Amino acid sequence: MDKLHSYLLDLTGLVVFVIVVYVVMFSQFAGEQVLNHLPNSFQQLNTIFLSILIEAIPFVLIGVFIAGFIQTFISEEHIRKWIPKNRWLGIFMGCVVGALFPACECGIVPIIRRLVAKGVPIYVAIGFMLTGPLINPIVVLSTYMAFGNDAKMALLRMGIGFLAALMIACIISVFYKTNQLKHAINNSSSNHVHHHSQTFLQRLEGMIKHSIDEFFDMGKFLIIGAFIAAFVQIYVSAQSLLLLGDGVIGSTIVMMGLAYFLSLCSEADAFIGASFMNLFTPTSILAFLVYGPMIDLKNTIMLLSVFRAKFVFALLVTITAIVFIFVSLIGL
Amino acid sequence: MVRVRFQHLLKATLLAAFALFFIKLHLTGEISNYINPKYEIMSIIASWVFLFLFLMQLFRIWERGDIHIDCSFACSHDHKGETIKFINYAIILFPLVTGFALQPTILGASIAANKGSILPHASLVETHDEMISNENHMKEEEYNRKLASLAQADLINMSPDMYSSYHGEMISNPEDFAGRKIKLSGFVYKEQGLDKHQFILARFLITHCIADASVLGLLAEFKQIPDLKEDTWIELEGIIEVTMIHGQVLPVIKASDWRILDEPIDPYVYPVLVKIV
Repeated sequence: MDKLHSYLLDLTGLVVFVIVVYVVMFSQFAGEQVLNHLPNSFQQLNTIFLSILIEAIPFVLIGVFIAGFIQTFISEEHIRKWIPKNRWLGIFMGCVVGALFPACECGIVPIIRRLVAKGVPIYVAIGFMLTGPLINPIVVLSTYMAFGNDAKMALLRMGIGFLAALMIACIISVFYKTNQLKHAINNSSSNHVHHHSQTFLQRLEGMIKHSIDEFFDMGKFLIIGAFIAAFVQIYVSAQSLLLLGDGVIGSTIVMMGLAYFLSLCSEADAFIGASFMNLFTPTSILAFLVYGPMIDLKNTIMLLSVFRAKFVFALLVTITAIVFIFVSLIGL
Repeated sequence: MVRVRFQHLLKATLLAAFALFFIKLHLTGEISNYINPKYEIMSIIASWVFLFLFLMQLFRIWERGDIHIDCSFACSHDHKGETIKFINYAIILFPLVTGFALQPTILGASIAANKGSILPHASLVETHDEMISNENHMKEEEYNRKLASLAQADLINMSPDMYSSYHGEMISNPEDFAGRKIKLSGFVYKEQGLDKHQFILARFLITHCIADASVLGLLAEFKQIPDLKEDTWIELEGIIEVTMIHGQVLPVIKASDWRILDEPIDPYVYPVLVKIV
């Protein structure tokens, strides 16, 4: 039986190899055939699309491994023990843990999905999601550098971002008590059995398998998001956005729109934000820097795959409103 | 008994294809057309991780019916119809097909136009003449020496490694450079509102990946209208003078000599990163 199994493995390895080689050869052949018929703008779109993916995939892999780890090694009891019973304390903790946790927004959705499925209250998870990509050492450093080694913008970005995240999580906690997951990710009863009966190695194996499935679950939404972001970059010019407004309010809206549609990585967006300093007011740049890491097009699509559409929409509106109000109150 | 699980076979194939795609990017060097080479190590690791996941996934294709180890995954992940599953895998396959099939294009004038007006963006570039303290593209002394040579050299040579720093200095203090000789290369970009004798010689600055590219351009002015199409790469020599455009004091290069270049293998420039030892 075991021998048969290992032969089968060799055989399938070979089969997979052949399929992959075939797909690659076919793509390259097809590529040569259609290359002349494709408009140049599509090729540019494809280049930007792939570059977003190539940049994001390593971080997504980290994200799905963490998600796999949570799924396999952390039980509901742990969560219940760790998270404060008090709602406000819980929110505060979520935001602080997010701030300490060096996540990137590409990898954060699979993580919060697992956390919520494990029984973390939705508002705690949202706090974590908002501060995770926004407040971490690399983002602080790149913002500091992008604005000519001026700490003001970096500090404001962190400070306003943290307060806004707290506020948003509080608002969410008032309106949403249940987990808001689209499909009940049901692992409570069956998992307990595993936890006690499996050896460490088996659990490690389980974790890797979860990570693979998570990658495929999340990967497609990342791909769709990256494609739309690339599409916007190619076919929508920044100039046309300028028509929307020149005042403080107008430019803040424009910059938040840019942050949303460009779906940049929070580690790189400071340089882009800085490049708009001459076109827009500092307030609107700050809005760009705070809003982008919290929510963008790519993440919205990933969130929609996990949570109920109504909830995602309410979250989107809340984040937009709160960031707008907070940034305007500062009034740079 | 053993039985084949088609979905798992598909996943294994896709994981192998992802691994191969990342390996191909590195072997052909195409990766530098997508992301800043400084972050290449991340994608090298990713290719190894994909290979590892592929091997792990192989074990799942033939699963013995009597043991059902990963039940929780089967419970927790979707049970959708065949069509939806097919669409899901098609989406994942899409970037692999276009990735293998199409060559990356080099960003050009049409993208630059989408990024909005280049010239008044003075403040972007001020940022890049600063040092970043954790990467080792260049030693600090070397950087300082090169930056100092900007003030003294007879001819300012805008080499790719110092392009963004020199460009930043020139945009922020154009007066300091008036009358100096300069040599640089880039692609031709004709911005609306410029004179027929003028165009912008531009390069893309990549921070992370192509998606965050921004344009660094210097205005060039010719005596005769040059016979140059957009996106042509040229090497230009000339004298820097100061001019007013869009209400802003900017350097302009009065061209004395130029020649057409082939599009370079490394068309992009990157922010200078200095290692502080």
